[in-house]
Amino acid sequence: MIYDAAVIGAGTAGLAAALRMAEGGLKVIVYAKGVGSTHLTGGTIDVLGYTPHLVEHPETELPSFVDAHPDHPYARLSVATINDALGWFRGRMTTYDYTGNLAANLMLPTAAGAPKPSALVPETMAAGDLRGGGRFVIVGFTQLKDFYPAYLADNLSRFEAAPGLPVNARSVTQRAPIAQADVTPLSFARHFEDAEFRKAVIAGLEREVGGSDAVGFPAVLGLGEARTVCQELQDGLGLPVFEVPTLPPSVPGMRMFNALKRALSKAGGTVVMGGPALGADATGERVEALVTAAAARTRSYRARHFVLATGGFASGGIVMDSTGAVKESVLGLPVAGVPPTGEERFSPGYWASHPMARAGVAVDDALRPVDADGDVLYANVRIAGAAIAGAEPWREKSGEGITLATGYAAASSILESDA
Amino acid sequence: MNRLEADVLVIGGGATGAGVARDAAMRGFSTILAERGDLAMGTTGRFHGLLHSGGRYVVRDPPSATECMQENLILRRIAADAIEDTGGMFVTTPWDDPAYAAKFHDGCKGAGVPVEELSAAEVLRREPRLNPRISGGFAVPDAAVDAWKTVWACARSAQEHGARILNYHRAVSLHVSDGAVTLAAVMDEATGETTEIEAGFVINATGVWAGRIAAMAGCGGVTVVPGNGIMIAMNHRLVDTVINRCKEPADGDILVPIRTVSVIGTTDSLVDDPDENAIGRDDVELMLAEGERLVPGFRSVRALRVWAGARPLFKDDKAGEADTRAMSRSFALIDHRERDGVERFLTITGGKFTTFRKMAEATLDKMCEQLATERPCRTADETLPGSESGHHYWIGARLAAREGDLTGDQLICECELITRHRLEDAMQRRATTNLDDIRRTLRLAMGPCQGGFCIYRATGILHDLARLDGPAANNSLRRFLEERWKGVQPILYGDQLRQARLDDWIFQGLLDVEHLPESAPA
Repeated sequence: MIYDAAVIGAGTAGLAAALRMAEGGLKVIVYAKGVGSTHLTGGTIDVLGYTPHLVEHPETELPSFVDAHPDHPYARLSVATINDALGWFRGRMTTYDYTGNLAANLMLPTAAGAPKPSALVPETMAAGDLRGGGRFVIVGFTQLKDFYPAYLADNLSRFEAAPGLPVNARSVTQRAPIAQADVTPLSFARHFEDAEFRKAVIAGLEREVGGSDAVGFPAVLGLGEARTVCQELQDGLGLPVFEVPTLPPSVPGMRMFNALKRALSKAGGTVVMGGPALGADATGERVEALVTAAAARTRSYRARHFVLATGGFASGGIVMDSTGAVKESVLGLPVAGVPPTGEERFSPGYWASHPMARAGVAVDDALRPVDADGDVLYANVRIAGAAIAGAEPWREKSGEGITLATGYAAASSILESDA
Repeated sequence: MNRLEADVLVIGGGATGAGVARDAAMRGFSTILAERGDLAMGTTGRFHGLLHSGGRYVVRDPPSATECMQENLILRRIAADAIEDTGGMFVTTPWDDPAYAAKFHDGCKGAGVPVEELSAAEVLRREPRLNPRISGGFAVPDAAVDAWKTVWACARSAQEHGARILNYHRAVSLHVSDGAVTLAAVMDEATGETTEIEAGFVINATGVWAGRIAAMAGCGGVTVVPGNGIMIAMNHRLVDTVINRCKEPADGDILVPIRTVSVIGTTDSLVDDPDENAIGRDDVELMLAEGERLVPGFRSVRALRVWAGARPLFKDDKAGEADTRAMSRSFALIDHRERDGVERFLTITGGKFTTFRKMAEATLDKMCEQLATERPCRTADETLPGSESGHHYWIGARLAAREGDLTGDQLICECELITRHRLEDAMQRRATTNLDDIRRTLRLAMGPCQGGFCIYRATGILHDLARLDGPAANNSLRRFLEERWKGVQPILYGDQLRQARLDDWIFQGLLDVEHLPESAPA
């Protein structure tokens, strides 16, 4: 069979592109080696946080940011598109809501206690917004090694939202009613979906949280039932409750993955996971089929359109070998932004800017891959997510914004070209 | 100003200094050891971890080979827990002169290094990943040794015999009066406080830095040339036996399996400053090319970390040319009474890790001779703390310990199987806020993820345990990330580049460590 569109990669970009196309009536397949970026993010959608100065209002700052960074993925999109992508995404998160918008960043504590700017966040995190200052209690569990409430609270207390709006935070560490000493975030999330467990946690905290405005927990408050879990903790403690993302694999990221994948299945899309994409059959300016590794043989998926959403260096979408040769790993596309031989690719100082961090596939405004002259390489291929050149997503706090907005825009571009 | 007194002050906390301090303390001298950094942080902690059989010296320098083999046997006995009995092989690849094999075999026989000739088939049976074009080889009793463990065991032994260990104390001056060294000033690197140490005898065991310390006592011309060598730790044990090329020692000709990794080494370039352990791109490329000759596919294996260490190559400006050549291979014990007319001062430098105990013995013998006292050396007879059982370390040791208690403790560093109790114990014992100290003590963050997961955890634990405030804990975290970067930046390619970017995702994208509060400037 010939699919309307084949998406390579099941991170935020790939799933968003696939879902939007499936909703638009296309027959879509997602092919992926495994789960992707969702499980690594904290579940927040960070659009633009530092330029390197703090961005309070992404919507108003994006145009000047794009002017200063003409090779940035956001330069291929309009602010309206990014806004549409956020709105579309909110509508797809069915088990709980997302709050926030492009107008103003929330400032949410990280697990280390830094205030991090995010545009769109799960409703279970919103009460951790530090912009108004306040008194917080951070709760940890002795059995959870990925969350250190005292360290977090110590750093948080040094943050001043604005003159006269201090943040005060203290911590409580509780032994959860679980026998083992080493419990993963996902396992904790499952325990929280048990009412008896929640009751025990609430009982242990009732006397500890007085005098505060909100209570922070590691982001393990349920997987599919996060809304119920949070509501019950709020009712039980009589205070707003919020989650703070922990180390990967991230529970809020899994919620996002599950919601997108479920919606995709419902819309008629197919997800195939487990083997690497090996390459493509291409003729001239078009890719005809994706070639993948199946058991002891290869298997091809033919499609009219392709979305490459395989990520950057961190995901294996862009690779560099020991001789320094850099390539895009599935289609062998040229990689832009690689410093010439002999020049420093990574700076000697860790905190410095690293030229290679921005390397990726250059794209046109329709997110099609282009060569050094700007000529389109494959007319029926779109690139989405961290494989696109030009960003330093973790420094900018723009990773999820780029993946979501380019995934959404890649799908729009294909739907428009079919119309 | 603080003031301390001791019979012997040892300057330098590498293997030599720790060995000297232990020997001195065991002979009943009250002893202080001062080290400017952490113990085994210089050359000692920056080699490949080879416990020599002597095989590498049998052709060029037979006396060194004999000395290595003798010390090899002693260390296996007294430092069993720090040694993994991997055995070693010398193999002839298509790039090595086949005629060297006969010279090597005769050399081993002559120097007393046990040797067994192996067919090519037997070499490959023992190490299947080696190049199938290898034409033959020899088995020798090489082994892998954990330098940090050995040095700390020596320090603990010295402490048990009454010695005092002052790490992070830099020697700033030596005072000479009436032609003898009588006093040393050391500065606490953390507080800047100076301590005066009145010493009956001062032993300069600062290896590649020995010229600087000797000059403080007015003894000029002690030139120790730093020979810089790089080493790369590769993910996994590519081999389980130490593999040497059967040829004249050269660059990139040895692969040492140690703990969970294998280390390829090394280069030899003369540098001006031993503190500048530069890592050239060409050196990295040379290691990969030579590694590929030993183990096909070497280039596609993850390189975890690269470092460089400076070997001390002693050259006495006061000696003739012939002496220099003779001394540079083995160790050099400089008698400053005879050489410079300065009493109560010895310098011990050169040599190699395998012979550190012998170097200490020779030094203390000389000191006793000068003090006209007879106190025999006992360091070869008494087992080091931790090695009492006499069992060698083995690769499954940590897993076996962990399997005994799978649910009772948390695994903080999954790569190196370090539990929370073990980490907290080390933090308390070491009383340090430097996560790199903990890294060297426990191998924390030395595995494939290079701290991507465990260092946030270790920072949180350190914050609570050491009662650090947030900014101080943040500084520990930042310093760790900066140090780590130095060791990975030159080898970012392949899967380790992917790992490094994932780690950035965690530290910058998720934790936003760039915007954590910093300490107010003092």
